[in-house]
Amino acid sequence: MTRKQRRLTLIGIAGGILAIALGLVLYAMNDTIVFFNSPADIQAKNVRPGTRLRLGGLVKEGTVQRGTDQQITFEVMDAHGAIQVRYRGLLPDLFREGQGVVAEGVLESATVFRADSVLAKHDENYMPREVADTLKKQGHWQGEANAAPKTQ
Amino acid sequence: MLVEAGHFALTLALGLSLIQFVVPLWGARANDPVLMSVGPVTGMAVFTCISFAFLALTIAYVTSDFSVMNVVENSHSAKPLIYKLSGVWGNHEGSMLLWILILALFGAVVALAKNSIPQRLQANTLAVQAAITIAFLLFILITSNPFTRVIPAPAEGQDLNPLLQDPGLAIHPPLLYIGYVGFSISFAFAIAALIDGRIDAVWARIVRPWTLGAWAFLTLGIAMGSYWAYYELGWGGWWFWDPVENASLMPWLAGTALLHSTVVMEKRDALKVWTVLLAILTFSLSLLGTFLVRSGVLTSVHSFAVDPERGSFILGILIFFIGGSLALFAWRAPMLKQGGLFAPVSREGALVLNNLFLATACATVLIGTLYPLALEVLTGEKISVGAPFFNFTFLPLIVPLLLLLPLGQTLAWKRGNFLGTAQRLYAVFGLSLLAAMAMFAFEYGGPAAAPLGIGLGVYLVLGSLNEIVTRSWSRGTPLAVAWRKAANLPRSTWGTVLAHAGVGLTVIGIAATAWGVEGLATLKLGERLKAGDYEARLERVIPRVEANYREDVAVFTILRQGQVLGTLESMKRLYVTRGMPTTEAGIMTVGLGQVYVSLGEVEADGSVGVRLYHKPLVLLIWIGALVMALGGGVSLTDRRLRIGAPARAKVSPAAPVPAE
Amino acid sequence: MVIWIILLLMTAAAVMAVLWPLSRHRALAAQQVDPDTQFYREQISEIERDRERGVLLPSEAEAAKAEAGRRLLRATGATAADAFAAVGEPALRRRRAASTLALSVIPIIALALYGAYGSPHLLTHPPEQQAQASGDKMDLMAAVSQIEAHLAQNPQDGRGWEVVAPVYIRMGRIDDAVKAYESAVRYLGASADRLANYGEVMVLAKDGLVSSEAQKVFEQAVQLNKASPKARYYLAVAAEQDGQIEKAKQAYGELLSSSPEGAPWGDVVRQRLASLGGEQPVAGQEDAPQIGAADIARMVSGLAERLETQGGSPEEWARLIRSYAVLGQRDKAVAAAERARQALAQNDAGLKTIDAMARELKLTDAAP
Repeated sequence: MTRKQRRLTLIGIAGGILAIALGLVLYAMNDTIVFFNSPADIQAKNVRPGTRLRLGGLVKEGTVQRGTDQQITFEVMDAHGAIQVRYRGLLPDLFREGQGVVAEGVLESATVFRADSVLAKHDENYMPREVADTLKKQGHWQGEANAAPKTQ
Repeated sequence: MLVEAGHFALTLALGLSLIQFVVPLWGARANDPVLMSVGPVTGMAVFTCISFAFLALTIAYVTSDFSVMNVVENSHSAKPLIYKLSGVWGNHEGSMLLWILILALFGAVVALAKNSIPQRLQANTLAVQAAITIAFLLFILITSNPFTRVIPAPAEGQDLNPLLQDPGLAIHPPLLYIGYVGFSISFAFAIAALIDGRIDAVWARIVRPWTLGAWAFLTLGIAMGSYWAYYELGWGGWWFWDPVENASLMPWLAGTALLHSTVVMEKRDALKVWTVLLAILTFSLSLLGTFLVRSGVLTSVHSFAVDPERGSFILGILIFFIGGSLALFAWRAPMLKQGGLFAPVSREGALVLNNLFLATACATVLIGTLYPLALEVLTGEKISVGAPFFNFTFLPLIVPLLLLLPLGQTLAWKRGNFLGTAQRLYAVFGLSLLAAMAMFAFEYGGPAAAPLGIGLGVYLVLGSLNEIVTRSWSRGTPLAVAWRKAANLPRSTWGTVLAHAGVGLTVIGIAATAWGVEGLATLKLGERLKAGDYEARLERVIPRVEANYREDVAVFTILRQGQVLGTLESMKRLYVTRGMPTTEAGIMTVGLGQVYVSLGEVEADGSVGVRLYHKPLVLLIWIGALVMALGGGVSLTDRRLRIGAPARAKVSPAAPVPAE
Repeated sequence: MVIWIILLLMTAAAVMAVLWPLSRHRALAAQQVDPDTQFYREQISEIERDRERGVLLPSEAEAAKAEAGRRLLRATGATAADAFAAVGEPALRRRRAASTLALSVIPIIALALYGAYGSPHLLTHPPEQQAQASGDKMDLMAAVSQIEAHLAQNPQDGRGWEVVAPVYIRMGRIDDAVKAYESAVRYLGASADRLANYGEVMVLAKDGLVSSEAQKVFEQAVQLNKASPKARYYLAVAAEQDGQIEKAKQAYGELLSSSPEGAPWGDVVRQRLASLGGEQPVAGQEDAPQIGAADIARMVSGLAERLETQGGSPEEWARLIRSYAVLGQRDKAVAAAERARQALAQNDAGLKTIDAMARELKLTDAAP
């Protein structure tokens, strides 16, 4: 084999691998990406039931119900609406009423969401970033310095 | 006083780094050995200054000096001593100081290794190192100063984030940083070579130990981080494809490629341009990782602070070094002479293929990590790219690489014989297939891919060991002779074999996760929860109070098929100062597998939400990584790679060489 | 002073570290064996050893040796070309320039940056005084953390909470003080003094505003002990902030007349009364705030003007409303709330903030 042929073989193989990788990435981009939505987004965009998504918002106060065998329901709300979430599993340590939460799962109907994982990665004055952004956009955000007025 | 002196030492280090940057570079251009000799001395001086600063901060932590802001924010006088120490780098400012301490440490080692590195290369390398040091010292002093004072000093600190109060934290970041920062040395050598316009096998031989060391530490760091997340976050997972994890995986993939291409360059003087590019890319990915974690663009337990000023500063550093080095590369690389030729089917050819697969896999991880950020900036749409994406793109690129691994290792340099090589692996193929089939037969249930994964892992382990066997034993050789021959094989060969066998062990561990089982229930005292063959019985729940937290401890008896294996404790903690709850999973090791119990809410009536997992062979995932790093370590001890290698030249060739 | 001497010594050491290699005149490099050629020589002898050990086949070894030999030749050719230049006039000049650079750059950079970010003044106090101060601080700190540790284990210990609360106030940890008094009241039961203290920290936490919650606490305190001066005082302040000036005047007057001569709160009460246009204050204004009422009024009107002309966030409007209420200008507070509602008409959350503030200040229920 001449030097040129060798180089062509090499370029051919490299091109092949890159093409396969590109194909995989593009296909996966269509299929495996999960969008982040707030309850308002779901209403506004008319998301089809059966879609996999991440739902973020505040846990509505007084809606957390624990059934038998760790079957849990609660409502996630934002300024414009609320969606009921059903989840079976252990809730994260920082899950609390009135606090931000992100649930990943499938939308069952326009108002019911079945979560397979629930995240509440935040400390006392910190929310999941996506949730904080959404609330800020909706003008719900109070900032840390002026904490939400205590309910009387 | 000490704190202020430490602060001043940091600013002194900056001045010294400027000298270390300018004078040796000038000396190398003017061919002046005296100016070049300033490099090593300043390198040592910078290291001395930064160690002093780090020591000052550590003492402030140990003595709970709450006039230092950083100590107030991350420490508490009631915290155990080990977390006072590890708290030094358990926060943004301190961890950056550790980062730069390691950078300076590597600079000092390069400075001391004057007998094995040509002086010009050393001078240029130290200058490039100094440039990195300057950038990060400025970053620390201007945006993230750990020595900021508060007057009047508060009486008590705010404690360290409870998730970080764990022995894992004490080890994980230093290991990871030694890996990240170690690649800065390969980077500095590459830039130095580009500045000089000369690069050859000597260069590769000098750089390889650095890359190897950095790679071994990064391997340990990632494994440690993975195990920490596994037991501390309480989700039972060991890898989440979290952007922060990806940020450490990408330099590892690129570094692994670099390691292999350096071998080709050292042995055959080929792949020069590619190796230099890889060295640049590896460190760029390390910098990118630092940026992603430190700038607050990502949220995770790792990101300490969200501060746009810091983000833009690091972005500036990132653009300067990546852009600058790639520009230099584009300008100087065409001047580098091409070296040895090789046939496509050869050890070199296999290593090129290895590099292609690793680099492509690294690129898919990069895309998956950056795409959500780019999309959010461009369209405002928020998405998450999770495990499904990476499983779909990363695995198809890694599996062929693993399949080719034992073949490539067996091929000859320059021109190999594919069929001949495959013949030497017949036994290995057979045994692996047998292993996979045995798995099909015994473990009904579980996905079909799992036995194939086990087969792949066995194939990798046996294929690696086969290398030792074929090189030391042939039919009829007495065992003692074969043994001596094997012991006489170069340590780098043993290192390679160990590292590749480690990959196999990790693959087996990952494949076996498919047979993991779990159960979930609300348990009252005395009730049982079943997962596969395993059962957990809740014995009692007791409150306990420690120095800086209080906890509810649930005690479980673990049974396998009705036989009691022992008890384990699982905790729900409340850290008083921050009012933050955490879950501590209870873990029991059974063989190479683990029984893992995670707690949910402890209800008023004493019942507890419990999740029980049995994870067969899960320990192999981390044992494999340890073996990989061990392989790197063994390879490092190879005399030919040691920093003072030329001393060996004085050994008379006739003298018997003792078995090493 | 000591700190500067230490810093100067450190700087001197750093500069010396750079000057030392520059001062060595011998051209060290001349004796150095060129590492490139050395490297290939070693490689060749190593191949030889490998062959003797039987690791390499003789034919392989020959090929490898030939290749290494070729590289050795190339390396020798390359290094012969560029000789080291360590002697002569240009070299001397370079060394001088480098020394000057080190002498100037290191001290300037270090001192400038340290001057900008360091805190050397913290150490200029005489050492004894500082030791004393830190000694006191240490005692207090140790005491507080001891109590905190104790309370973490025995959160039902009301006495502990009551002891630690005033310390928190002194340390400026008002929110902690509120929680501490709250726990003290819960576990020790209500008494007039305890409730009055609890109410007082609630007022402190709201920058002087008597919220409706705090008012309830004071009312409870007065029920338990009609004479409690602190509770009566704050109730009067609450009335004043609600715009019920007559009621406030009356309450202050009653408080004064029922207080013993020389009571520590006498002056404060007289001042408040005076500001409401009651009887003239008696002497003793040392405790008067250093910022005059006029200054405050000016600051508030500045804020009002800015919000009026440029608009502002709901939080700023709320601050303006609260400021008017604290100043006792109730009508203005009501008017400001009205304007805020107009300005923030598009902003649901903003309106909620304003409504919450209005409720807190009782601007709605007291409206005629």
